[in-house]
Amino acid sequence: MLKILGSVLILLAGGGMGITMAGYYARRPQELRSLQAALKMLETEITYTATPLPEALGRVAERAGPRVALLFNRAREELMSPAGCTAREAWEEALKAFYPTSALAPSDLAVLRQLGPALGISSMEDQSKHLRLAMEQLGREMAQAEEKASRYVKLWNYLGFLGGLALILMLY
Amino acid sequence: MIGTPLLRPVRPAQTRPVEEVLTVLPVQLRNLITRLPPEILEQLEEIRLRQERPLALGLIHRDAFLSPEGNLVSDPEQAYRVSAGDLERTLQLVTGSSLYALEEELRSGYITLPGGHRVGLTGRAVMEGGRVRTLKYISSLNIRVSREVPGLATPLLPYLIDRQVKSIYHTLIFSPPRCGKTTMLRDIIRQLSNGVPELDLPGLTVGVVDERSELAGCYRGVPQRDVGVRTDVLDGCPKAEGMIMLLRSMAPQVIATDEIGREEDIAALEEVFHAGVRVLVTVHGASLAELAVRPALRHLFKLKVIQRFVLLGRSRGVGTVEDILDGRTMRSLGVG
Repeated sequence: MLKILGSVLILLAGGGMGITMAGYYARRPQELRSLQAALKMLETEITYTATPLPEALGRVAERAGPRVALLFNRAREELMSPAGCTAREAWEEALKAFYPTSALAPSDLAVLRQLGPALGISSMEDQSKHLRLAMEQLGREMAQAEEKASRYVKLWNYLGFLGGLALILMLY
Repeated sequence: MIGTPLLRPVRPAQTRPVEEVLTVLPVQLRNLITRLPPEILEQLEEIRLRQERPLALGLIHRDAFLSPEGNLVSDPEQAYRVSAGDLERTLQLVTGSSLYALEEELRSGYITLPGGHRVGLTGRAVMEGGRVRTLKYISSLNIRVSREVPGLATPLLPYLIDRQVKSIYHTLIFSPPRCGKTTMLRDIIRQLSNGVPELDLPGLTVGVVDERSELAGCYRGVPQRDVGVRTDVLDGCPKAEGMIMLLRSMAPQVIATDEIGREEDIAALEEVFHAGVRVLVTVHGASLAELAVRPALRHLFKLKVIQRFVLLGRSRGVGTVEDILDGRTMRSLGVG
C-alpha cells in the first residue's frame, strides 16, 4: 500500500516538473511577443505625441500584458524617484527586478539592457531607431524561442511523467 | 542719477526657489550646494555647469566657484570639476529623460523647469536647411534661479499710475541684463492685476505674452508664479503675434511683455496703443541713448507714446530703481 502511494507521489512530482519546464518554454515566446508590442507602443508614444518618458512608460504599462506591465511600471517608479536617476539606471533597475520572475533567456535580457543607455537622450528619430532595433532583435529571439517551444514543450510534458515512471520501475 | 532710499528694493529672502532648482541636480552636486550657509543660498542666482571645467555659482553680488568640500572659492584650480557624467545626469534630470519631447526648446537654447526656472544650454548645433534643428553634445548648462519678490514694485508704482483714468501709464522698463527687469515686471503685473487700494487703483485685466516662459513660469500652461488674479498668460507665444491675439480675444486693459526689440514687436505695440490698451514692456539696454540707436526702438521713441521710462540697476541690490523719466518732457521725476 505504502509502495503504491509512494509511486503515485513520484509520478506526480515527475509530471509536475515536466509541466513546469514545458511551461517555461511555452511562456518565453509569449513574453517576448508582449514585450515587442510594448516597445511598439512606447515608440508610438514617443514619436507621435512626444509624451515625456515617465508618462509614456506609465501608459505602456496600462495597456501591456500584466507581466510586462510590471517592468514598465517599475521603470516609471524608478524614474520618478526624488533621488533623481537617469533613464538608463531606471531601466536597469526595472530589468533587475523583472528578469528573475520572467521566462526570458539571457540573450533576451541583453537586448533589453542594450536599450537602456539610449532611452530618452536623443531626438525622436533616434529613439525610434533604437526601439525598432530592439524590436527586431526581440523578433529574432522570438523565432528561436518558438522553435524551441515546439520542440521542448511536448518533450518535457512526456519526459516528466515518463521519467517518473522509469524511476518507479527501477525502485520496484 | 542715483535712486533715493525710498526706492530700496526688498531683498529676496527665500531659499525655496533654490530647493526647486536643486531637484534637477545629481545627488552629489545637490549635496555640495545644500551644504552652503543659508545666507549664501538666498543669494544664489545661477548654477553653471561646464564640462571638464570648474563648477561656478552666480550670487547676487559676485561670482564664485564651489570646491569639492562645498566651500566657495575664487581660485578655479581649487574648484570642483564638472565631469561628463555630472553633465549627462543633470541633462537627463532637467529634461525628465525626454530630450525628444523638447526639440522646440533645444532649438531656442533653453528649457523651462516647473517653477519657472530656466536652464540655458549650449553644445554643438545640428543644422537643417540653414536653421538650427537641435543641439547635441551639450557641454554647458546655466541654471537660473527665478525668484518672486513680492513688493519689489511697491515704491515704483505711485510713479506709474495714471490717477485720472485709474490705470497705468504706457511704461517701458530698461536695464542691462541681470538687474531684475523680469522680476520687477512680474511684481508690477501682480499688483495691477490684484489692484492697489492704497493708490485707489482697482484691479485691472492684464494680458501677458510670455514668450520665454519667464514671467509667469508656466508649466503646462498654468502660471507657477503669482501674476495676480486678473491676469491671462499666453505662454510660449511670439510677442508680436501674442499681443494681437490677446487684444482680439481677451479684452485686456493692460498688455505686458518682456524684452521687446524686433520691428514686428513695435508694429504690434502700435496696434495696442491704437486700441486704447495700456502697455507695459521691458527692453535690454543701459541708457536711453543706447536704446535710441536700435532702429526698431527709434521708431517707438518717435511715436512719443511711452509715458514713463524706468531705469533699473543693481547699485543697492537687484531691482534698484535708478531713474524714472517722464515720456513727454524726458525729465526725471525727481527720483534722486
